[in-house]
Amino acid sequence: MNAARVIEVRNLRYRYPDGIVALDGIDFHMDAGECVALFGANGSGKTTFVLHLNGLLQGEGSVQVCGVTLGPSVSATDLAPVRSKVGLVFQDSDDQLFLPTVLEDVAFGPANLGLTPDLAATRAKEALEQTGMAGALARAPYHLSSGEKRRVALAGVLAMQPEVLVLDEPTTALDPPGQRDLIALLRTLPQAKLLVTHDTGFAAALATRAVFFERGRVAGEGSVEEIVNRFGWAR
Amino acid sequence: MRPAVRETWIADRWSRGSGPLHSLDARVKLAVLIVYLLAIASSTVWNQTAFAGYAAILAAGMAASRLPLSALGARLLFLLPFSGIFALIAWLSGDTPRALALVEKSLLSGLGVVVMVATTPLEEIVRALEFFRVPRSLVLVMQFLYRYLFVIADQAHRMRMAAACRQGNRAGRRPRFQAAAGIVGVLFARSWQRADHVYRAMAARGFQGTFPAMNPARFRVADVVFLCSSVVAALTVRLML
Repeated sequence: MNAARVIEVRNLRYRYPDGIVALDGIDFHMDAGECVALFGANGSGKTTFVLHLNGLLQGEGSVQVCGVTLGPSVSATDLAPVRSKVGLVFQDSDDQLFLPTVLEDVAFGPANLGLTPDLAATRAKEALEQTGMAGALARAPYHLSSGEKRRVALAGVLAMQPEVLVLDEPTTALDPPGQRDLIALLRTLPQAKLLVTHDTGFAAALATRAVFFERGRVAGEGSVEEIVNRFGWAR
Repeated sequence: MRPAVRETWIADRWSRGSGPLHSLDARVKLAVLIVYLLAIASSTVWNQTAFAGYAAILAAGMAASRLPLSALGARLLFLLPFSGIFALIAWLSGDTPRALALVEKSLLSGLGVVVMVATTPLEEIVRALEFFRVPRSLVLVMQFLYRYLFVIADQAHRMRMAAACRQGNRAGRRPRFQAAAGIVGVLFARSWQRADHVYRAMAARGFQGTFPAMNPARFRVADVVFLCSSVVAALTVRLML
């Protein structure tokens, strides 16, 4: 694998227990620092695909993440470092923020990595600083606005110091100022970013490359503009 | 907002106040509450002086909480149907001291619990319960229930509105009951799905089945003073009066 390559997926296939084929031979790659947009209709396999990137789902084929090959033989202990390398920010922040305070929630990931409570809290505070939520340490997640929840969810992932950020529909429930803030924030982050989105404007503002999924396959790849025009994906 | 959720919301807002009682350690408050409740429960029914003493302790606690007294008192109304029925039975059977004590004990105990909950954020109560070795699974269920209560209530409210919009002229109990039954079913399925999503999000952040411990809060002088004075006061009332 290329030294700068952080994700290399070859011929990935996944079938849900009910028999539905979600991924049907996906080839995908991503380099360090790159920002890629992942487009596709609902049910085209985008979310299923990203769940393979940190071992939450395991299909047939080859998935290499930051030099680690994932597969059914990988134990839960071996998955831990991969989960610290690939930070998944879920579509619904309420799924991610479950602890009573923002600080505890953001420190949850680093603490799971085996850091001491003090170090986990320090990492959490740094991540909250990075996302502009340092003032919300003691607040309860359910008291936050959608935009604030999104920032805290992102901080929860950044606190694990990942090399790759995967954001699933990051602009959902965000108003235009919230979207602008998120774009500005993501621009400052050095990690490789994979944006699963329907929002072409958001993708165009950040991504240098786009991939289009169709029925569990990669139907096209190119610049955001090219893919948007080719698949009629403009609003 | 649904009544149960509104009540939770109000208690949550109160618990984040800045009164002297708010700033105390939750473990200390919980310990004092337990001593206070045990003292009340073990007091004899004819000892009205002791109940006056407990009321005085509670009044001091309420003053230190700086919470709206009338609103606190209103929260006790939910106790009346329970304690009132038993008090009525005792009174009708000619045991007036027991009837009076039943009302007093339930009101004093209930108000004590309300003051504790209204001056302590849930996360601190949870940590205090963990400190007192309450089973972890029970604490987690409480924590998750509280966390997702608002989310699920919000979802239920949206579904109810959507059902009402499509109800048209179908008035009457039967259509409403059918819609409510459907909402409950869908809500259950969605909650089940959400539980799956929450677990997935936890696993994505390295969760392997055990929750990492966070730094416990440290006792301060004010906590020790409050603990000692409250326990001494409750025991004095219980043993001396």
